[in-house]
Amino acid sequence: MANGQLQRDVVVVGAGYAGLTAARRLHRQGLEVTVLEARSRVGGRVWSEPLPSGVMIDHGGQWIGPGQDHLQALADELGGRTFPTFTTGEAVEIRSGARNTYTGLIPTSDPTAAAEGVEAIFDLDLAAQDVPLDAPWTAPGAAVLDEQTLGSWLSEHVKNSAARSMIDAAVKGIFGTEASEMSLLFALFYLHSGGGLMNLARTTGGAQERRFEGGAQQFASSMAAELGERVRLSSPVEALEHGEGDVVVRVADTSGTTVHARRAVVALPPMVARRLRWTPALPTMRDQLMMRAPMGAVTKVHAVYETPFWRDDGLNGQLVADEGSVRVSFDDSPSDGSRGILLAFVAGDECRRLDGLPEHDRRRAVVDDLVRAFGPRAAGPIELVEQRWCQEPFTGGGPVAVFSPGLLTGCGPALREPVGALHWAGTETATQWCGYIDGAISSGERAAAEVMAALAG
Amino acid sequence: MASAEEIVEAYAAWRDRCNANERLRRMLRGWDRVVHLEATDTGDRFTVTVHEQTVGELAADAVGAPDLVVTATSEDFADLFWGDLNPSEKYMSGEIVLAGSQEDVMRLDALSMVAFLDQ
Repeated sequence: MANGQLQRDVVVVGAGYAGLTAARRLHRQGLEVTVLEARSRVGGRVWSEPLPSGVMIDHGGQWIGPGQDHLQALADELGGRTFPTFTTGEAVEIRSGARNTYTGLIPTSDPTAAAEGVEAIFDLDLAAQDVPLDAPWTAPGAAVLDEQTLGSWLSEHVKNSAARSMIDAAVKGIFGTEASEMSLLFALFYLHSGGGLMNLARTTGGAQERRFEGGAQQFASSMAAELGERVRLSSPVEALEHGEGDVVVRVADTSGTTVHARRAVVALPPMVARRLRWTPALPTMRDQLMMRAPMGAVTKVHAVYETPFWRDDGLNGQLVADEGSVRVSFDDSPSDGSRGILLAFVAGDECRRLDGLPEHDRRRAVVDDLVRAFGPRAAGPIELVEQRWCQEPFTGGGPVAVFSPGLLTGCGPALREPVGALHWAGTETATQWCGYIDGAISSGERAAAEVMAALAG
Repeated sequence: MASAEEIVEAYAAWRDRCNANERLRRMLRGWDRVVHLEATDTGDRFTVTVHEQTVGELAADAVGAPDLVVTATSEDFADLFWGDLNPSEKYMSGEIVLAGSQEDVMRLDALSMVAFLDQ
C-alpha cells in the first residue's frame, strides 16, 4: 500500500488503559494491531509525572482499592508496588463557616446530620443493589429511576442541610459533577458497580485505599512498551469509515496516515468519540448515547510543601467542605514523606467557575481554601500543579462520563453493542468499577474477546 | 478489660436504645442476621440476633452459624455498648474487625454508626 497506508487486523483508537489492554490481548493472540493515540503519551485519564522536585504525582486516576481485581492482576503481573493512602489522624470539616475535625468516614460534629446522611447513603446503596450491572435499564422501576436525578432524590430524602452538603461533597469527589446533573438510575448503577457510595468514599477498606509507588500510569507505559511501534502517539483520529467487516481510520497527522482494518476498538470517552466524523452516521441510539453522556468537570491540584506539616497537627490531610473551591482533599505525599503534598479536588460547579478565572486567581482560591482547612503553613506551597481535565481536548473533563436522565433506559443497550466492525471499550462501558482504572481494563478485555470471536467466526 | 457481666449490662442498654430508634429500625428492614462477638483479650464470645427489625438479647457464647463476626477488645465492646465509642472510627483504624460478606460488613458499619450518632 502507499506510504502512510496501513493494513491491520485491528485498529484501536485511544491508548488509555482500555485501549492498551485490548491491543495487548489481541497482539498476544497473533493479530496485527495498531493503536492510535492523539496525545504524545499513553494512559489517557491516568497520567503520572515527576515534579521539578523529583516527586512523582498522578494528575488523573491514582488509587487502587479492595475488589479492583483487574488492576491488581495487572499490577501483580507487571511488578507494581502499592502503599496505603495516609489516613492517620483527623480529617477537617468546613461547614457553615465553621471548622471542625473528625475521625472516621463522615463528620460527626452534628450527630443528627451525620445519622441522616448515613441513612441516605445506606438507602442509596441498598437501592443500587437492585440495578443489574450488565443491563441497568432492566432494573425494577427503571423508567421512574431514570427520569429523576440523584439531586432530586437527595432533595426529597435528605432534609438536613448539613447531611446534604456532606453527600454533595462526596458526589463531587466521586463523579466530578453535581448530583442534579445525572440520572438517579445511572448513579445507582455506578454505585453498585463500585461496591456502594460508602465504599467509593472510603480510603481504608475502600476505593482510595492504596496508591502506586511510581504512579498509576506505569502499567499503561509497560503495556505500550510491549506493543512497541504498534502504538502510534500524536496520531489523533479524525474520521472513521465503517462497514460490516472493515473500517478505515484517518489520522490527522502531516503524512495523512490511514489504517485499514477488519475491526476497530474505540476506547474513548463517549463525548470524545462523538467528535470524530463517522461514515456512515452511527445508529441514532449509539449517537444519542455519546451525545448525552457528558464528562464530569474536575481539576486536580497538587500543593507541594517541604514537609507534610498537617501531620504534626494530628491531621490526615482529608477535607470535606460545603463552601469554597476545594470541597474534598487528600494527603498525597510520597510514601517516604520526603515532601508534603495536599491533593485538592475542584469539581462540578466550582471547577467550571474556577476554569473561567485567570491562573493567579485560581491558584489563590485553592491555596486560601487549604489555609482555612490546614492552617497558615498551607499558604506557601513550593509547587502548585493544576491539572484541568476540562481543558484537555482528548478527554474533555473527568473523571467519568455521567449519564443524563432518560439515557440509560432510552439508549443503554447501545453502550457495548458493536456497530458492524466497531467495538466499544472504555471505563464507561464497564460493568464493574465503571469510571475507574479497573473498569477500563476489564472493558478492554471484553472488547478484545468480542473481536476475537468476530474474527474467528 | 471488661467482664462478661459488664458487656451484658452495657449491651442491654444499647439494645433498648437501638430498638427505640426509628431510623435504625427502618435501616434494619430485610436484614435478619446472626452476629458473633469475640473479645480478643478475655476470649468471651456472644451472639446477637437481628430479627424482623429488632435487635435481640445477647446470648452467651457463639450460637448458630454467624453471618458476621465482630472482633474487638472487651473494653471496646463495653464502650461501644455504653455509647462512648464510635464503632466506625474503630473499624476504620482496624481496632474493630468485621468479618462477613462485603455487603453485610458495610451494613453493620452504617447501622452501628447510626446507633452511636443518633442515641
